[in-house]
Formats: sequence, C-alpha cells, structure tokens
Amino acid sequence: MEIDKNKNEDKISILLEDLDSLKSYIEDLFSFLPLPVCFISPIGVILEANPAFEKISGYKIDEIIGKPIEDIFAKEKTKEIFKEAEEKGSVSAREISVFTKEKKEIPVSLSIIVRKSKEGEISGYFIGLFDLTDIKTYQKNLEEEAKDLQDSRSALINILEDVEEARKSAEKEKNKTLAIITNFSDGLLVFDKEGRLSLINPQAEDFFDVKSRDIINRPILELATFPTIEPVVRLVGGEIKGVFRKEVQTRKDLVLEASTIPIMREKEKLGTLIILHDITREKTIERTKTEFVSLTAHQLRTPLSAIKWALRMLLDGDLGKITEEQKDFIEKTYKSNEKMIELINDLLDITRIEEGRYLYQPILTNLESVVQFVINSYKEEIERKKLKFEFKKPEKKLPVMLDVEKMRLAVQNLLDNAIRYTPPGGQVTISLKHAKGEKEIEFLIKDTGVGIPEDQQERIFTKFFRGVNVMRMETEGTGLGLFIAENIIEAHGGKIWFESKENVGTTFHFTLPVKEEFTGFLKEF
Amino acid sequence: MNQEPTKDYNPPTTSSQASLGPLAKKLMEIKGEIRGIDLKSDADFVIKERGKEGLNKVEEELKEVGYPVEYEKLETMGFYPGGLKALSLLAIKKALNFNDEKIREMGSHAIKVSFIVKIFIRYFSPISKFFFKESPKIWNKYWTAGEFIPVELDEKKKYAIVRVKNLNLHPIYCLYLEGYFSTFAHLVTGAEEINIEETKCVFRGDQYHEYLIKWK
Repeated sequence: MEIDKNKNEDKISILLEDLDSLKSYIEDLFSFLPLPVCFISPIGVILEANPAFEKISGYKIDEIIGKPIEDIFAKEKTKEIFKEAEEKGSVSAREISVFTKEKKEIPVSLSIIVRKSKEGEISGYFIGLFDLTDIKTYQKNLEEEAKDLQDSRSALINILEDVEEARKSAEKEKNKTLAIITNFSDGLLVFDKEGRLSLINPQAEDFFDVKSRDIINRPILELATFPTIEPVVRLVGGEIKGVFRKEVQTRKDLVLEASTIPIMREKEKLGTLIILHDITREKTIERTKTEFVSLTAHQLRTPLSAIKWALRMLLDGDLGKITEEQKDFIEKTYKSNEKMIELINDLLDITRIEEGRYLYQPILTNLESVVQFVINSYKEEIERKKLKFEFKKPEKKLPVMLDVEKMRLAVQNLLDNAIRYTPPGGQVTISLKHAKGEKEIEFLIKDTGVGIPEDQQERIFTKFFRGVNVMRMETEGTGLGLFIAENIIEAHGGKIWFESKENVGTTFHFTLPVKEEFTGFLKEF
Repeated sequence: MNQEPTKDYNPPTTSSQASLGPLAKKLMEIKGEIRGIDLKSDADFVIKERGKEGLNKVEEELKEVGYPVEYEKLETMGFYPGGLKALSLLAIKKALNFNDEKIREMGSHAIKVSFIVKIFIRYFSPISKFFFKESPKIWNKYWTAGEFIPVELDEKKKYAIVRVKNLNLHPIYCLYLEGYFSTFAHLVTGAEEINIEETKCVFRGDQYHEYLIKWK
C-alpha cells in the first residue's frame, strides 16, 4: 500500500510538472505571438488577451480583462461580425477598428473562431487581429499617389486637350496666315534665325522664277547663286540687315521694293521677313513722267531763255527807248520769266535726281565758305526785310568733300525758306559746329518764321509740298527746294532733319561727314 | 531557498522573529495547501504596482519573519502551505503599506491572470450551470482545504450568495476573496457594477464565510 501511495504521488508529481510545462508553453506561445489575440466570453466580456493585444489596445492586461468588447471594437460592426461567426463557426479577415485607451482608432483585420462546449453551446470566441495601420498607410499613400497620378493624368489630358485646341487654333491660324501669304500680292521670304529660308510665297517664286522646293531651307548666301535672287541677297547681306523700301532690280523687267522686318517673340529674334513689293509699274510711270518732265523742261528752257534775253534787251533799251509804264510791265514779265526758268531748272534737277543723272563732283573744301557764299547772295534781301541775322562759325575749319555747286543749292534752299517765311524784323541764325567729336560737321539754320503745321511736318521733304500756312501768305515757291536739299545732303552721306512749331519758328539741321568718312559715300558717285 | 512544494517544504526554525513572527508561525500551522499560481499572482500585482523593488521588500519582510519566499521560483502548479497565502498578503500589506482596497484589488488581479480560471472559461456559460456545477471545482483547483459552496443565484434579481467553509485563514484573506469574487462575478455576468459584502465571517463568530454578490 505504501509503495502504491508513493507511486501515485510520483505520478501526480509528474503530471503537475507536465501541467506546469504545458502552462508555460501556452503562456510563451500566447505571449510571443506577434498578432493580437484575445478570448471573449459568450456575453461579450474579454477574458484573456496576449501582450500584442495589450500593445495595440493601449490597455494593461488587468484593464483589458473584464472589459466589454464594445469598449474596444465598434459596437454595430462587432455584432455583425459575431453574428456571422456564430452562423459559420468562424470568420476571417473582417476589417474593423480598434479603439485604444488613448482614443485612437486603429484599423485591423479581425478573425474569429467560435469556441463551443461538448454540448455544442458557445463557450466563447477566440479573436485574432492583424494591424492594418501600415497597410492602410501604404494604401492611403498608394491612393494618394494614385489620386495624384489621376490628377496628373487629368491635368495632362487637360493640357493635351488645351494643346490640341491650341494646335487646332494654331493650325487654323497657320492656314489663315498661309492663305494670306499665298495670296499676298507682295513677295514674302521668311528666314529662320540661322538665316535659312523657311518660307517663300508663290508671288516671290514668280518674282525669282524659282520653285519653293529648290530653295527652301537653304542659307541666304547660298540663294545668291540664283541670278534672280542675287540682287536681293546683295541688298540685305548675309546677316539680313534692316532695309526699308529699298529698290532692287531682280530682272530687266522687274523692280522690287524690299523691306526687312525682324520676327520677334518678346526679346528673342525668331527670324526675318523680307517683303518684296513689285514697283515695276510705278517705276515705269515715274520714268515716263520724269522723261516727260525732262523733255518738257528742256523744250521750255530754250524759248524761256530766248524770252529772257529779248526782255533784257528791251529793258536795257537795246531795241529802242521804252516808256516807264512799258518798262514796269516788261520788268514784271522778266521776273515772271525768271521764276519760270527757276522752276524749269528745279524740275530738271529733280528729273536728274530721279533718273540718277544728278552727277556730283566733290572736292575737298570746307562748308563754311560754301555757306558764306550763299549768305552773301542774300544780304540785300536780309537787309530789305530788316532781319536780325547771325552766322556762328567754329574756330576750326574741318575739311569736307563737297560738290560745291550742289551744296550751295541745298544751303540756298534752306536759307531762302528761312528768309522768305520769317516776318520782317525777325531773326535768322546759321550755325556751323562739330558733331560726334570731329567726325561730322553740323549745319543749323534757325528762324523765327511761321513754322510748319504739325500735321504736315512728315511731308516736308516730298516733292511740290508747301505748307498751307505759307501758301496763304506767299503765292510763290515751287515746293521743290527741300526735296532737292534732302537729296543733295543724303548724296553727300549726310542727314537732314528739322524741328518746327507753327508761329514760333523752324530749325533745320544737316550733318556731313568730315573727310575721313568720305571714302564710303564717294563710291556712290 | 525553499521554493519546493509542500511535500518538501520544511519551514526553518527562525532565529529572529519580527512582528509578524508569532502570527506567521500560527498561520503556517493551518492545515491545507494552496497552488503556487495563487502566490505568484501576489508577486505579479506587487510588481505591477511597485516594481521589482517592491517585491524585494516583500521578500525581505517574509525573510525576516522566518519564511523566506522567492516568488519567481515558486512552481505554478505546485502546492504550498495554505497559511503562506495569508502571510504573503500580510507581508505585502506591511512592506508596501497597502490598504484594504489594495488587498481587494489583489484578489481582483489574481482572477484576471489566473491560468486555472482560464481553464474554466469554457464553462462560464450558462451562468447557472457554471455557478452551481463548475465554480466549486475552481476552488478545489486552488485549495486542498476549505470548501466553496454556491448557495443562491438569481439572475433576474442579479445577485448570488456563496460560502466558504472550513478555512479560517486570516481576515485579510476575506478582503482578498471579496476582490476575487467580485471580479469573477463581473467576468461571468458582464455587469459593469458589482457590489459584494461578506455577510458572514468566521472571524466575527459565524460558522462560515458568506458573501452576497449583487450586480447591475
């Protein structure tokens, strides 16, 4: 009996050790399980939870035990899941939120197994959770990224739609522009910023007798190999310099007026447009007109000279004594004849200028002597009108190359106007001064005359122009003087301009290059 | 250190006797044994409340009264002298200056972490069956002495009466059981509010301990 008792005690001891080990094993398994696990009683009270559950819920174990499940999970959702679990025996991976002690909401995936007694009664529920925070964060990030991508896609589509719309609009605009360019009566050449021909319209093809395909994309200097285009290339140069309404003869029967226009976008130069306007007809008419005027003037000058000398002889009494009354008539006739001769001479000058036959014979001289010569010829008139006259000269005389006769004519036209249109007692001042260091000499004539109406100032250098105010006060004058003067000054490589205010006065300026600058313009003669 | 279960547990003859000394000796003479898991739950609570340092104080106190215990080395399923439970509670109360409420909390904590209780979880439902049939078994899993008697259960009126007979340990254990039964009732009923009253007590001259447990 004693032996049996000892054996039984040994067995109990072994069983207790086994139980202890089993408990330890279960506790270790439960404790080290990384997934939150808990056991819920049939009435919804948490009866057991592992450390992972403590961690996710934020509650200590003795705070968790006994806690109603609704304190941890959303009530309605929990009921729903438990009901499903009771029906199926288990439920896997249902998304639900855990409400932590710190009132945070943690998304989890919840799985339930229903535990039943031998009699089949529910004795509780094992719950396992999987923390979805990282996945949710990742998912959120993915969704945000997807949204960003979607937004970007939408934005891109919008941009593409805008671009497409803009493209269509540009296409439409381009077609419109092309239609304009194609049907434009002027020839158009568009060069890109590298100087390659990017567009030529049909009119320009006609002008140059070329086909677009043969010349497109070629650099401008290469186009000079085409005889019909070469004059234009020579005019604008390889850099396509700025020109405005310059005449160029591309064929014997074709005169074009070329202008270049830079194509700019903001401050960037995208290329250059050359506009070629056919002025052949105008030139023909102009030449015909000039020839007619020239012929007529020549034809008129001979009889007018004869009349002049005949009248002179009458006035001088070479043909007999005349009465005072006759003399008076003849003098008036003589003066009128002189004006006719003057007009004819002006017209002849103009025809020569226009025909390019206004030949210049420059010599090295100084402008002061030319101006002084002209002033001397007007002294009587200045005195007669009691004008205050002043001639300001520089100390140093700069040498200039001048066609003295032509320059006298230019200065004379300017001085004649100043005296003619300045009321008696007014002031006329001529000044000569050096400009741009000593590279230029500037002529200035200032009067206190009637001035030029502002709305007519831009026409001042055109042929036959006379201001409306001077026509009212002075019937004489051909309106050719300033046209001739401008041509003479420019032919000398100079510039002419003016400032004027009606009833205050006018100041004309012109500059001429000094000798060093002459070589260039001499080539023009 | 003597951390072996009862059969090998021979209380040393203490040379120095602290204030708990005479009581300790008397307690240790009480018949009946208790499972190590219940003593270990005391240590869990102390660590939770006062950390390892608190537990060291308790162990020092027990050492002083001549019954040194290293809680960590106690065997969970082993049996130890029943008086050691009362001595453990008294040592804790003295060393850490715990009040009655803390002792009740210890009982409450014990049931929450008890492996034995977990074994019975599957029998929690239905309550009546658990109350009358299964709950006495739990007592027997802890104690080789005493008797747990479910007297009355009224689920409608929400109260229960239980008795503990034949275990005259110490009044501190009465407090401990209040906490224990109270939490048990909470776990079984799910009720948020539990009131418990020891209506009869052997230390007040009754034949047994009786507890009236009410819940809302």
